[in-house]
Amino acid sequence: MKADVWMGYLVQIHDDFTVVQSPFVLNGARVFGADSDATTLAVAALLHRAVDELVTSVSIPDGFDAQSISQATGIQSHNLDDGSTAPWDLLLSDEATVVLARHGAEVTLTELEISVEVDEGFYNAINEAWEAELSTGHVSQGAYVSQAQYEEAALSRLSLVGQTAEGAVLWPPRFSHLVAGVEASNQPLKREGTIQTWTTLSAAGAPSEFSLRAPLLGGISTVLLHLDDGPKGVFLVVDDEDVDFVMNGKMELVLRRLYAQEGVVRYGLKARSIDN
Amino acid sequence: MVDVAVVGAGQTRYGNHPLGLKGMWAEAAREAFNTIDNDFDPVMIDEAFIGSIAFGGSQLGNTAALLTEHSGMDGVAVRRVENACASSGFAFRDAWMAIKSGQADIVVAGGIEKMNDLTPERKRYWLGVSGDTEWERLAGLTFPGTYALMARRYFHEFDSSHDDLVHVSVKNHHHGSLNPMAHIQKEVTFEKASSGFMVADPLTLYDCCPTSDGASCIVLAADHVAKKLTDTPVWVKGSGAASDRLALHDRPSITQLQATQMAGKRAFSMAGIGAEDVDLAEVHDCFTIAEVFATEDLGFAKRGDGGKFAREGLGRLNQGSTTINASGGLKSKGHPLGSTGTGQVVEVFKQLRGEVASSRQVRDAEVGLTHNVGGSGATCAVHVFGRDQR
Repeated sequence: MKADVWMGYLVQIHDDFTVVQSPFVLNGARVFGADSDATTLAVAALLHRAVDELVTSVSIPDGFDAQSISQATGIQSHNLDDGSTAPWDLLLSDEATVVLARHGAEVTLTELEISVEVDEGFYNAINEAWEAELSTGHVSQGAYVSQAQYEEAALSRLSLVGQTAEGAVLWPPRFSHLVAGVEASNQPLKREGTIQTWTTLSAAGAPSEFSLRAPLLGGISTVLLHLDDGPKGVFLVVDDEDVDFVMNGKMELVLRRLYAQEGVVRYGLKARSIDN
Repeated sequence: MVDVAVVGAGQTRYGNHPLGLKGMWAEAAREAFNTIDNDFDPVMIDEAFIGSIAFGGSQLGNTAALLTEHSGMDGVAVRRVENACASSGFAFRDAWMAIKSGQADIVVAGGIEKMNDLTPERKRYWLGVSGDTEWERLAGLTFPGTYALMARRYFHEFDSSHDDLVHVSVKNHHHGSLNPMAHIQKEVTFEKASSGFMVADPLTLYDCCPTSDGASCIVLAADHVAKKLTDTPVWVKGSGAASDRLALHDRPSITQLQATQMAGKRAFSMAGIGAEDVDLAEVHDCFTIAEVFATEDLGFAKRGDGGKFAREGLGRLNQGSTTINASGGLKSKGHPLGSTGTGQVVEVFKQLRGEVASSRQVRDAEVGLTHNVGGSGATCAVHVFGRDQR
């Protein structure tokens, strides 16, 4: 077994399975970070496995957002209705732990020493805020991005798929090529970049989408990154890690929860310091 | 081609206005009509363009018709112009073009916004609607955040620091303290402005304009009509406008506003003058860093010297060759989004006619400029005005 830190999570790599765990612990049990959940851990597991191995499809049980996982990884969610078996299965434990296992593999979990204790009051408050944000009775005062609009850009938002048109690499995708009458093709971009500038907004200055959680987080931070493949982009910074911002500092992009609207979690790429 | 003049201009006081949209617009229209020296009746107006974001959404559709209905302008062909915070800068340009085209002789341009009757959450929603919703907004940005990103990058690229922004704030508060129409009419010390509540690092409360209620109204006329309405018209000598990418990440540089540069160049070219000829400029300082950019992009300071320009107090009233934001600017006069562009014209109109208090009169003011920006620079309208027709 090998262990690693990957996208802000703890990873154990076995021949037939990968275990991804939250580093955070409360009262002896692992818990999700402020903007993580089973889906974000699952994406980390699949992307880690896909570095060295072709993962064509995976069975995704309840408890995960299958569509977001597929959009974020490019790996198909296996259709179980036809009676076939998927080559890989996603499994979810009670303790902020996700396992990606080869179908039929015997999985044994090994306890890792690494843990970060979280404050119980903060943990409870942030989860209550997410619950409130997700409740159907909650009407967001934030910007409205329709589900259709969100999904139109899902590949770019969740897996940093850019666009090549007339020799230029673009992100987010544009539509000028339609007017110019030229072809544009998708191009996955490396999920790393350097800091061009950053800010931390106080809770009073943050968009209303974040009004329930920003006060608990002490504001929200945003960076403008120059991506390694050329384009630039603005990204929220992960909620559960401290970052020492420095100009030209290196950051990577990882999937996290952005906010919730109409009872659905909207995911997106957030920046974290590679040095973390 | 016909020349165009401003023959009347008025506004409400900016701030927390007791009246709603209809009352504020009526007040601004009355003030504008009252500045027209000779016989004038609102029925003489051929067209009207009213800038507004319709902040709060209380009257999103047919905003303009509702307003003219309450200001003696029944029957006038009117429409709302929306270009974020540059709405009325563009409304003014549309009015100017309507006369230039020969299709109209007397046209009203105005702007209005009611911002302070909302809950804080709804206010923050509307304050962010003019950025790139899908990418910037979901990355946690409202405009304080957007301009904070620009400011930090500017400090990195040039010899500048937050202290330069404090100088802008102190200056504009001083100018605003002299302006009875300003939202915030009080001085602020350097020490206080440099230690304000952090809104979006590195921008503090004293770097941000207030959210203001307000309305402003301008009456423009073709030359052959203008001379009948007033003995002291203020001539529109140049009009320029441009657009740029909405989102910061789509721009090659975030320490300058390309739309301002293009709009300024076009306006100066039409007027046949340069920045050095301008006695007063009302520039769009929604955040203090925006004034630093404007002084550079319009040519009052060299690229990278905007911070130094502020540090040396060159924009203070009658201190340098151009007074920047004699009204107090958006920072102190206030920023009722849709009203700001034509509100800037009100200030230039009164300054060029010598109708402001002597304590805040720009000395020997012959040429004025207005600079109105939408969002973080996606749209911009620049106008140059002069006392002389030629």
